[in-house]
Amino acid sequence: MRLPSFKTILTVSAILLTAAAIDSLTHVLMAQNPFGGSSRSALEPQLSGVVGWLLRKQSAFYREISSTIRAAKTDGSAVWSLLAISFLYGIFHAAGPGHGKAVISSYLIANGETARRGIILSFVSAFLQSLVAVIIVGVGAWLLNVTAKSMCGAERVVEIASYGFIAIFGARLAWTKGWPLIHALRVSRASTVTPTPAFAYASLEGDAAADHGQTYSRFRSHAAMPRNEGRLQEQIHRLTRDPPHIHDEHCGHSHGPQPGDLAGPGGWQRGIGAILTVGVRPCSGALLVLVFALAQGLFWAGIAATFVMGLGTAITVATIAILSVYAKTTAVRLMTRRNAGSALLSRGLEFAAASLVLLFGVGLLFGYVAAERVTCF
Amino acid sequence: MIRRGCVYFLAIAAGFVLQAGTALAHPHVWVKVASEIVYNEDGSIEGIRHAWTFDDMFSTYSLQGIHTKIDGVYTREELAPLAQTNISSLKDTDYFTFAEADGKEQKLADPIDYYFEYNNEALVLHFVLPLKTPFKPRQLMLEIFDPDYFIQFSLQEKEPIKLVGAPAACTMTIQSPTDEESTEKLRGQNSSGDANNSFGAAFADKIKVDCP
Repeated sequence: MRLPSFKTILTVSAILLTAAAIDSLTHVLMAQNPFGGSSRSALEPQLSGVVGWLLRKQSAFYREISSTIRAAKTDGSAVWSLLAISFLYGIFHAAGPGHGKAVISSYLIANGETARRGIILSFVSAFLQSLVAVIIVGVGAWLLNVTAKSMCGAERVVEIASYGFIAIFGARLAWTKGWPLIHALRVSRASTVTPTPAFAYASLEGDAAADHGQTYSRFRSHAAMPRNEGRLQEQIHRLTRDPPHIHDEHCGHSHGPQPGDLAGPGGWQRGIGAILTVGVRPCSGALLVLVFALAQGLFWAGIAATFVMGLGTAITVATIAILSVYAKTTAVRLMTRRNAGSALLSRGLEFAAASLVLLFGVGLLFGYVAAERVTCF
Repeated sequence: MIRRGCVYFLAIAAGFVLQAGTALAHPHVWVKVASEIVYNEDGSIEGIRHAWTFDDMFSTYSLQGIHTKIDGVYTREELAPLAQTNISSLKDTDYFTFAEADGKEQKLADPIDYYFEYNNEALVLHFVLPLKTPFKPRQLMLEIFDPDYFIQFSLQEKEPIKLVGAPAACTMTIQSPTDEESTEKLRGQNSSGDANNSFGAAFADKIKVDCP
């Protein structure tokens, strides 16, 4: 009887994950308010060492950026060091603050996306983020020569819009994922009372549907299947004859992530929401670097540094994205092997991740409206 | 295999926690602090006069789009609107200045005599923070920090804090936290929600003035 203890461990982990996520949300919320103070109590002792180290590295690289831009005015080769430093800064910066990782990871978990898609999303959104920074400074400072105050105003508008995007995106995701969760709950409750093959089939099917990143409407058609008596008999027959993993063409499953899926119909549109929500908000550090480079007469070097920084950021975000996708699929696969009720776990995780995106969006939006950043004077 | 699954879960949870800890907590702006503690004739502290030098990147950013008569020369008058906006947004953060007299937090009034000066490609913000009520403490504790650690305040190397008109018996000590102390402080933080428990507080220098 190892099953209950395994379940317990998973439940505890899931609770921990949710608690930590809520905690990180409150941090973001609190941090927006200059004197809200923040409960950093969640910092584990062994983690604060890492945090301190990350902070020092980031500060060091960031400080180096301004001195190398200065050096590049007289010595062209300094541009290479500028790019190298910007790249490292991007890697370290993304390992620290920012909601981008949280949104991308949560989206990937919620939508049952592949790691490969996670990588692409990370890179495209980081590229967009750099591009937005370059556009704001390029138009604001270079073309129109407005003050930092007005540029900050533009940044603020973009920022609020981006938080709004996250909230809307999260709400849509939570709505899409809420129904399958309700179904899974019903199925699991029913199956504990009368564990008939029909229910077992439904939950297995449901699980497979979500694993392949399909949407609610598709899922619903699966869930509705058992109600169709004739078809149900056929399916039960098929189920008893074949292993449950084999589907007919009605199911329309593409098994496993095919590389072609990414570029295929509907492939890009699916991720565009995630790209926009994360990528539209520029990093204030990039804006500072760009304006500084412009003032030194080396705008192009600032632009190059910004994109290289984005590349570094993308690498870190992609790593975290892969980790979360792998963690989810591994956990769900392990559960599937032991217990058909894992559909519930899968649906639950997806819904939790979707809600997290929504919470992040709402939280950022509120926190932002409540307080003003000091750099944005 | 089961254990591995759990390990992955915990890894994600840890990742979120790590993220939370560093949320917005990395400085983008650096300030070198030079401040004076100003005393009146009867030996009470009247206020704090700050001169904060911003790093070159932020200085450049702030000066973006400000038109001047002579290129590269910014007069006090030309920088007056900038000083005004900076001072008014600093209000929201209590001017990053935390004073305690004999263990009691002191209220600061709105700043006076504020202006920007442009020196060696850096902006210097001058302002005076009068105390709501002048006081004569046995011990004054002063800290200058951004709780969010978006701005990193550090004391300038040479004579960062001066006592102006202080009674002769007053002595000053400045304690900078070591890495271990900062880590320790971050670890011991609770969710009381005041500035002393913030991320930035863990890295703040403590200025202590004892007047026996």
